[in-house]
Amino acid sequence: MKAFAYVNATSEREAVAALKFDGIALPLAGGQDLLARMKDYIDSPDRVVNVKNALDATVTATPDGGLKIGGAMKVVDLAEHAQVAKLYPAVAAAAIEIGTPQIRNQATVGGNINQRPRCWYYRNEEFVCYKKGGSRCFAVNGENQYHAIFGNDGPSHIVHPSSLAVPFLAYGAKFRVLGPNGEREIAAAEYFTMPTLQNVMKENVLADEELLTHVILPAPGNVKSGHYEVRYKASHDWPLVFATIVLALGGTSGNTIRSARVVLGAVAPVPWRSKAAEDALAGKPLNEQTAALAGEAAVKEAKPMSGNAYKIQITRTAVKRAIMNAAGIKTA
Amino acid sequence: MDHLTSPKVQIGVHCLNLRHKGMYVLATPYPEESQFYDAYDSTAYWCVETQQAFGPDGQPARPDCCQGDRDCCKH
Amino acid sequence: MFRQRGGGPAQPPPKPLDPRYKWPEKPTLLGTSVKRLDGPDKVTGRARYTYDINRPGMIYGRIVRSPVPHAKITSIDLSAVQKAPGVKAVLAWKEAGAELFYQGDPVAAVAADTEERARDAARLVRVRYETLPHVATEAQAMAADAPQWSTAQANTRAGTRQETGDLETGFKQAAHIVEQTYSTHVIGHVCLETHGTVCEWEGDKLTAWVSTQGCHQAAQGFAQALGIPQTDVRVITQYMGGGFGSKFAPDAQGIICAKLAKLANAPVKLMLDRREEHLDTGNRPSAFAHIKAGVSADGMLTAFDATSWGTGGAGQGANFPLPYLYQFPNRRRAHTDVYINAGTQRAMRAPGHPQGCFLTEILMDELADRVKMDPVEFRIKNAPKLAPNAMWIEYFQRGAKQFGWDKRHPTGDPTPGPIKTGMGVSAHLWGGGGRGSQSHVDIMSDGSVVVKCGTQDIGTGTRTIVAMVAAESLGLPISAIKPEIGDTQYPFSGGSGGSTTAASVSPAIRVTTMKALDALYAKVAPVLGTDAQNLVAEGGRIHVKGDTSKGLAWKDACKHLGTEPISVDGAWTDGLSSSGTSGVQFSEVTVDIETGIVKVKRILAMQDCGLIVDKLTAESQVYGGVIAALNFALFEDRLLDRVTGQMVNPNMEFYLLAGMSDIPKIEIVLNNMPERGVVGIGEPPTVSTASAIANAVRNATGVTIRSLPLHPHKVLAALEQERAGGT
Ligand SMILES: Cc1cc2nc3c(=O)[nH]c(=O)nc-3n(C[C@H](O)[C@H](O)[C@H](O)COP(=O)(O)OP(=O)(O)OC[C@H]3O[C@@H](n4cnc5c(N)ncnc54)[C@H](O)[C@@H]3O)c2cc1C
Ligand code: SF4
Repeated sequence: MKAFAYVNATSEREAVAALKFDGIALPLAGGQDLLARMKDYIDSPDRVVNVKNALDATVTATPDGGLKIGGAMKVVDLAEHAQVAKLYPAVAAAAIEIGTPQIRNQATVGGNINQRPRCWYYRNEEFVCYKKGGSRCFAVNGENQYHAIFGNDGPSHIVHPSSLAVPFLAYGAKFRVLGPNGEREIAAAEYFTMPTLQNVMKENVLADEELLTHVILPAPGNVKSGHYEVRYKASHDWPLVFATIVLALGGTSGNTIRSARVVLGAVAPVPWRSKAAEDALAGKPLNEQTAALAGEAAVKEAKPMSGNAYKIQITRTAVKRAIMNAAGIKTA
Repeated sequence: MDHLTSPKVQIGVHCLNLRHKGMYVLATPYPEESQFYDAYDSTAYWCVETQQAFGPDGQPARPDCCQGDRDCCKH
Repeated sequence: MFRQRGGGPAQPPPKPLDPRYKWPEKPTLLGTSVKRLDGPDKVTGRARYTYDINRPGMIYGRIVRSPVPHAKITSIDLSAVQKAPGVKAVLAWKEAGAELFYQGDPVAAVAADTEERARDAARLVRVRYETLPHVATEAQAMAADAPQWSTAQANTRAGTRQETGDLETGFKQAAHIVEQTYSTHVIGHVCLETHGTVCEWEGDKLTAWVSTQGCHQAAQGFAQALGIPQTDVRVITQYMGGGFGSKFAPDAQGIICAKLAKLANAPVKLMLDRREEHLDTGNRPSAFAHIKAGVSADGMLTAFDATSWGTGGAGQGANFPLPYLYQFPNRRRAHTDVYINAGTQRAMRAPGHPQGCFLTEILMDELADRVKMDPVEFRIKNAPKLAPNAMWIEYFQRGAKQFGWDKRHPTGDPTPGPIKTGMGVSAHLWGGGGRGSQSHVDIMSDGSVVVKCGTQDIGTGTRTIVAMVAAESLGLPISAIKPEIGDTQYPFSGGSGGSTTAASVSPAIRVTTMKALDALYAKVAPVLGTDAQNLVAEGGRIHVKGDTSKGLAWKDACKHLGTEPISVDGAWTDGLSSSGTSGVQFSEVTVDIETGIVKVKRILAMQDCGLIVDKLTAESQVYGGVIAALNFALFEDRLLDRVTGQMVNPNMEFYLLAGMSDIPKIEIVLNNMPERGVVGIGEPPTVSTASAIANAVRNATGVTIRSLPLHPHKVLAALEQERAGGT
């Protein structure tokens, strides 16, 4: 690991100031991602700015009935937070599945959203791919069983690694961001970026000197939500595919889906909103048949790579089961 | 040396530097075992001099290679 | 497997066993469950593994390895690294012009005052490579016009061809024929403790702390590779975190460590990291076979015709037993070794057997279905006849009862819903057995006892069984014995491999302790006014047979030794061990047919290992074997990028291993066979689990997956093909 300077920031402003630096400066939260990248020589910052003592680590109620989650909050605390579980069950469901207890005890909300891709080409120094300034994506002709099945126009074919980003997007969260020129709020849906040749070395709109300080969740309203992850191993592993579904219900029986948010994880370079599935759900009764239809609709536009067509079937299942989950129907 | 005898590496034929696991474990074959399957050789070999699966000349260490007039071969 | 049919080291004719050494008919300790003596040291961290050895003035070594799978070195420039901070020694392991055959092939090395500096410095070694075309998969290597894995050798080498009986007649007798291709993949040993060494010179004498399965064997490796007398090498292995067949030698990293220590004139620690462990410490070769097999209308196997191949990486073979275990009277088999540009194979827990077992056992279920027979019944019909080393028929019957096999549905779970349940069965065999171990016993006048043997405990519990056998023989509690192992200063013993350790060490300890006891009897008999042959040692006393009152407490008896301890040597002898084990495993799984995810619910392992020494550690071997095989079946996969030939998952993240919650309930039935003496159990329990799981998946889903691992993509593909009207 390259030797680096260490700054232990104690306030948001101090942290942001420390990031403005002639050289590479990176924020350090739980370190579950950053330290591994540094040890593997994927990133070699000159300065590391600890933000754990600088950012809010609590959950507070917002005036409109939503919640504001501090960027330094530990994933374990998020998973165990009663208000979060009550208002945004899919967030709690996603949090509790992340990595392992050790990882959840260290990892933070801000770090989880901003973690870099887990593509095995990116993570091994030998492969100088687009994400590392190279000029190819090794996954295209290589081992792509865990890569994208949506948004596959390139240049990079990663799947976005964050488990939390998916439910945050589904619940319509905004991210509060602070930079040297002040703060801004960005809708989660606008935060993550599809790769282009210009921006491929990043996964979101955050500038180098900016920090994600808070996740702001609007009042959930009259919704039912569901979350379903398909995992090969029970822990210490990544989901193959997962889905969060948020359904606004209405109608005389209260069981008609007025509108839906369907967001898929581990299938695209960004948390992937499936308009097709949302359209398929609108106006339908909430039941198993509708769930299956939505699953079918969700995969219609999938464009798998050479070795990951199996993820289409898994996506179908994840969407269907997340909806059944929201409906309170038992699933496998 | 008793523990360095092996039917796969024959003194006089193969190089004295050739090694495999069977030369280092003290096994006794069960007389009837051969009834259950035919002969096969799953053995991994290495060269005691280089401590790799290749000899000092960079070529593989294996009974079919480690014999005869190969330069590094010791008899 | 380490011997061939009709082969094996020339054995002296067995000498009749001296009746004094016979295993006791009514043992007090043997066969009971004794906790590992070093368990508390291991869980509290007091146990010092090679990784934990720190010597005064010690520095750290790091190896520079080939980043590419096939290249020639154009030049190695060490000048920049020599000036790097903290660097104490630098060496070129290979020279310009040398050909490199796999990613991870060692090229040069550095030693620096901290581990981090050594890592950073290693990156300053400037190696120029001329990259050469490579082959990354068996299929690439076997393709027409394939690039060559080596500038000197072809990509394939025809191996054995065998033919027994008459194939034509065999196929004529067949009412049904199955013809399919089966395969298993490459996996690594993934030792929890990586390979490595701490080397320290004192003049021309080398002391090496090595994570090894054979301390005496590693000493020979050091001596011959370094060109020094073996008597000048001491190897110490007090605690060891797993080898599984990959740690019989110092390897390149051991020799590099010793050379760096010499150059730097300081002790050097060189432990590999996880990535190096995946790239350059061996693996289990792949196995493929195209098999055509016939079965008669009444369920007898008639013919077997196979073409097989597999890769052991760069220049090493990949053969395996085929057909496995079951009796095909007419058979033919042709094997080809395929070489690719990847790390070389090493013996891995039951070499060849898991592969041969899987290929045969999946076929067995397919054949059973053709004749509409229950898989257990079908196997009983075609298994070798019952014998002490061939207990399968009994295990099939007893196991089926215990497992609830009668509740197994025919192929394809008929219940509605996405979760399908199924059961599978599979059988295995292994050799084991031992010889040749030596040991030394001292009984002191204060009654303390030390037992020394140059074996090593690779995690199996050897230290504990050494103490158990000694305590049993001397009639003492285990706590009264001091077992000393893991050091070449102790008498010669073999490498811990081939499931031979218990069977070669236990008899040596038995003989030596009984000899020591005889010497003690000789001292004590006059005191008790009797002859030595009238004495027994039990319950911490030495007394006259049949008269406990006429005796002495152990301590009091030893006082009569005065100033001269009893100090005797002894060795393994015939009659206390034998070889040949058999086992059968059952498994129950669920398969989610909408996601392709397989979960193993339970495993039943029926296993023998001759006389059981420590029941607890014997069971531990079965647990470990089953879990390792579950990993082989579902998770592990050494994945090389098909384009660049570089490994994509040299870590513990994408190289998957089961966690606690992936491990099923494992039931073990150990068949104690004291009349056979000690046999050994390290390898057999890991052989048949994967096939039992795969057969259970087949039973659950009604589709056959003929290759490992049972990743969701294969399960879903097989289900899809079935829906499309495939096989
Ligand atoms: C085996 C394994 C399994 C895993 N499984 C999952 C899983 O299922 N789901 C999942 O989501 N994750 C999973 N992870 C990843 C893990 O959850 C993330 O690494 C972790 O959440 C990152 O959080 P952190 O606080 O440790 O981030 P850090 O490592 O400290 O930082 C991550 C990145 O974000 C930047 N950063 C940190 N904080 C901020 C901030 N406030 N604003 C802007 N940038 C910031 C850092 O500079 C760094 O680049 C797994 C990891 C492993 C090793
Ligand atoms: S490589 Fe050469 S020295 Fe080594 S064992 Fe083979 S023939 Fe002998």
